[in-house]
Amino acid sequence: MTAATDHNDDDVALAGEYVLGLLPADDLRGFELRLRDSSDMRRLVVEWDEYFIPLAAEIPEVAPPPAIQARVERRLFGAPRRRWPLPWQGTLAGGLIAAALIVGLMFLTPPDQPDALATHTAQIAAEDRSLLIAATLDDDTGEIRLHRTEGAARAGRSLELWLIPEGADGPISLGLLGDDEVTVLTLAPEQRAALQGAVLAVSDEPEGGSPTGAPTGEVLAVGEISPAA
Amino acid sequence: MATRDEIEELIARVKLRDRQAFSTLYAETSAKLYGVCLRVLKNRAEADEALQDVYVRIWNKADAYSANGYSPMTWLITMARNIAIDKLRARKAPSSGIEEAANLASPGLTPEGEVIAASERQRIMDCLEELEADRAGAVRGAYLDGDSYKDLAERYGVPLNTMRTWLRRSLLSLRDCLTR
Repeated sequence: MTAATDHNDDDVALAGEYVLGLLPADDLRGFELRLRDSSDMRRLVVEWDEYFIPLAAEIPEVAPPPAIQARVERRLFGAPRRRWPLPWQGTLAGGLIAAALIVGLMFLTPPDQPDALATHTAQIAAEDRSLLIAATLDDDTGEIRLHRTEGAARAGRSLELWLIPEGADGPISLGLLGDDEVTVLTLAPEQRAALQGAVLAVSDEPEGGSPTGAPTGEVLAVGEISPAA
Repeated sequence: MATRDEIEELIARVKLRDRQAFSTLYAETSAKLYGVCLRVLKNRAEADEALQDVYVRIWNKADAYSANGYSPMTWLITMARNIAIDKLRARKAPSSGIEEAANLASPGLTPEGEVIAASERQRIMDCLEELEADRAGAVRGAYLDGDSYKDLAERYGVPLNTMRTWLRRSLLSLRDCLTR
């Protein structure tokens, strides 16, 4: 870091105020114009940023909610990426084949019969039963399988699934329910350990999911997670 | 946390639109940047939103990084801080999350010596020491908590213009000390 010493005090102080976020609106506009045109001023700003940055060392790291990364990727790249490839994606290409397989599986596995591998189940239901989803969870692989038997997202809206562990501060987004009747999502390892006594909930959200990381729309359906029989 | 060189390399790959590198950069840096957003905003929902904006901007602005002269963590933390402060200033009413603020504002160092060298940290600390306690506190409040002149004037019970005069003088003393 080489410090330029040929700046006048007013510019030095202005650049410092700018970096601290203290400049009043009028001064700010003027300063930003000068910044655009003057590499000297830009260098002053970088210097102040570098001077102050050691203070940020005392800010504790806090792990953000897991849903945020997916939301960033959705904003930048569109459709969400699945964390783990589904079993058939490696060998069979094409949505049609995958769709045919899902339909096939639905016939082979009646929805009311719990998945043989499931360790937990939940019936996520609206009070008036206008939305019904049977969930089976496997705390070993982290797979949650959701079978929607009643109801759907409204046009231009999405259904988002939330996990609320016992005693948690707030809901954790698990992802969006797809348009198909069956959606498969994956739980993070720390979530797998928190299934006992937890609740699953589905909320009505803007298309693509809650923009804030917490439910923003109406909670449409809830269901308690219980160990599989 | 990754070293400075590793973060530099990740940013360079993000600039080339490498999504895997972006994902790794997120894994390596998001806890720090989320901490910065929370410290300024003192509200989880707003910090969640700010953090999304931060990474969207990182992806979109990665090509400007190498030209601007910042070290990698300074670039990332400064961007997070600026976005959080913009959100803070855009708020209509002040936050009432006092309890949350108290929980989040607990001081304490995090182990991340790799990125911000202890000697650099000591330098600004020593120079802040040379200021009167109130004035050093005002600089720290502005940097760490995003306090405005109005916030600072109220805290220290002085008129706004006096606060500004103080702070500008403090900045000049600091720079004298830092470039000594």
